[in-house]
Amino acid sequence: MTKETEYAIEVDNLTKRYGDLLAVDDVSFTVNRGEVFAFLGPNGAGKTTTVEIIETIRTPTSGKVTLLGMDVTKKKHSIVPHIGVLPQGFSSFDRITVRETLQYYSRLFSCRKPDIDGLIELVNLKDKAKEQYKNLSGGLRQRLGIAIALVNDPEVVFLDEPSTGLDPRARREVWEVLHGLKKKGKTVFLTTHYIEEAELLADTVAIISKGKIISMGSPRELIESNADYQVLTLQSVDEKTFEIIRRMGYEPVLNNYKDIRIRVEQMDDLPKILNAIKDAGALYLGLDVRKPNLEEVFLKLTGEALREGSAAERGAE
Amino acid sequence: MRLRVIAANIGVKLTCFYREKTTMFFTIAFPIVLILVFGTIFMSQDNVEYRLCVQDLDQTKSSEQSVKTLELNGKFKITRVAPAVNATQYVRDNGVNLVLILPKGFERSLMRRKFFNDFKESVTITYIYDPSSSSVATKMEILNAVLAGINQEMSGVPPFVKSVSTSILTRKYRFIEFFIPGIIAMAVMTLSLFGTVDSDTELRQKGIIRKLSTTPITRTDWILSSILYQFILAVISTAVMLLVSYAVFDVSLHIDAWLLVFIMLDVFAFVGIGMILTRFAKEAQSAAAASNAISYPMMFLSGSFFPIELMPTFLQGFAKLLPLYYVNEGLRAAMVFEDNMAALRAAAIIGGFAAVVFILGIMATKWDEDQ
Repeated sequence: MTKETEYAIEVDNLTKRYGDLLAVDDVSFTVNRGEVFAFLGPNGAGKTTTVEIIETIRTPTSGKVTLLGMDVTKKKHSIVPHIGVLPQGFSSFDRITVRETLQYYSRLFSCRKPDIDGLIELVNLKDKAKEQYKNLSGGLRQRLGIAIALVNDPEVVFLDEPSTGLDPRARREVWEVLHGLKKKGKTVFLTTHYIEEAELLADTVAIISKGKIISMGSPRELIESNADYQVLTLQSVDEKTFEIIRRMGYEPVLNNYKDIRIRVEQMDDLPKILNAIKDAGALYLGLDVRKPNLEEVFLKLTGEALREGSAAERGAE
Repeated sequence: MRLRVIAANIGVKLTCFYREKTTMFFTIAFPIVLILVFGTIFMSQDNVEYRLCVQDLDQTKSSEQSVKTLELNGKFKITRVAPAVNATQYVRDNGVNLVLILPKGFERSLMRRKFFNDFKESVTITYIYDPSSSSVATKMEILNAVLAGINQEMSGVPPFVKSVSTSILTRKYRFIEFFIPGIIAMAVMTLSLFGTVDSDTELRQKGIIRKLSTTPITRTDWILSSILYQFILAVISTAVMLLVSYAVFDVSLHIDAWLLVFIMLDVFAFVGIGMILTRFAKEAQSAAAASNAISYPMMFLSGSFFPIELMPTFLQGFAKLLPLYYVNEGLRAAMVFEDNMAALRAAAIIGGFAAVVFILGIMATKWDEDQ
């Protein structure tokens, strides 16, 4: 039995070093029971190393990590039955069918009455139950991986980059499954570099960069506490408009070839910009003023883009 | 260690093996092909008949009689070459390796020797041969022995030195019966070594081992599952090899518990080596290369295919350092010579080796990511 602690996961001053490389640098955070907690950061930020330490498959250099009240470095065998893991780049036995794979993992966990059909239904793989793993598409494989992570009805589920490498449609299908998990009240620890994923699914987001947690809170809190500017988007601008704004000392960023995004620090500056465009007789089709999104907050906080070519990289600075 | 977990692992591995038709075919069929090919070669060597081309320049009754004597020896199937043909050119043009020429005047010389006791009279038989042919030397040795017999008979004096041969074995064995245990040893080595290295490297590369390490399965469960799976495959492969050998070549081999003991030791030794290689070979390609580097010297130098006595002395010494040599020796002691003491000696040596590499293999097997 696990201890009835307030937190599902407690991480205190966790450090992981590989020779000279500091992969995780004195990280501390807690994850509440029943919440979806997302680690948001680019590749190499230390997300997987941290999560693998909590999953008991890596050992910390220093610091303390407890999962369900148990020390991960001392209680591996007690912890493992209570967690479900979708590792990064999940893969399975090529020639084994979806149903057989779930039966296999349920035997590893010595599940007495595994609800294989229920799991297949949950991840929407009913039509593919007799399909061998090698014949599944990337999205279907990830959904099978999530089902495997749930085979032992775990208290805490770790999903390491569950939608990486999937096309947008497959990604949304995976998110639907994750929504289902959230409804079931599972504690979910998610690592991702997809902003939409964190915004859509997470109760708490921790922004991690270069092994350190930079900021943490709900997506709304993160935006509120870091949004000290506005993003002005002008649609279908001509070259003249672009030049006028540039001459006013802003750095307009071209978005989708015809739109530009401008970071505006003071609300008073907004009418100044619009008037300047009007006075010059320049054209634009529409405008939009909004607070920055989480990706832009991430960029502001870390100075690095989440993914190569991501929206924030092209977005307002 | 939990039997349910081990059984689940073996079940998955056997299902994968059964569904991978190509792997299954090569695992089972490769040793069978070897047995059929080498078995056929060795079987025909037991009743070998050489083609012998003879050019009779004398064309007399006596020369004809001599040709028939060669034929009756049973080792030769005679092809006659016309006297007018150039024998050297005939060898070159017809792909034969030897033409025996009976000279003109053969009968006249024979008559003078027989009826006039002219012991100075003799004939010279010429061999026109192609030295690049591998079987020509054997053919000439047999011919020389036949001619020596004819000379001895013509002398009319009984031979002084006679020979008699007695086999140390209670009954006569054919070469195929020495060959089968060697092929069993080699096949079990190959499937254990390559099976372990290929499977473990692939599972590690694909991240399946990492996934398994987040489940209750332990490293011991995993290794025991691998060993039992390889043992089951080895027993199936050996059973098929023996069935084919009995059905096709009607072999006579003694089968008892020693066979299972040596299969088990063979599996342990080479699964152990496989586990060590997997630790150091990061990718499937380098793992395959490392397995080849281990298995090829074993295959050819440890006496699986041919007796090590055919090799140079220094290589014979090297062969005795190879673990597969003791599996070969042990299996032959048990299955051919029925010599329990020799089997026990071989089992002790390979058992000691298997224990050491298996322990090293367990230590080398990486389970947690930081190991």
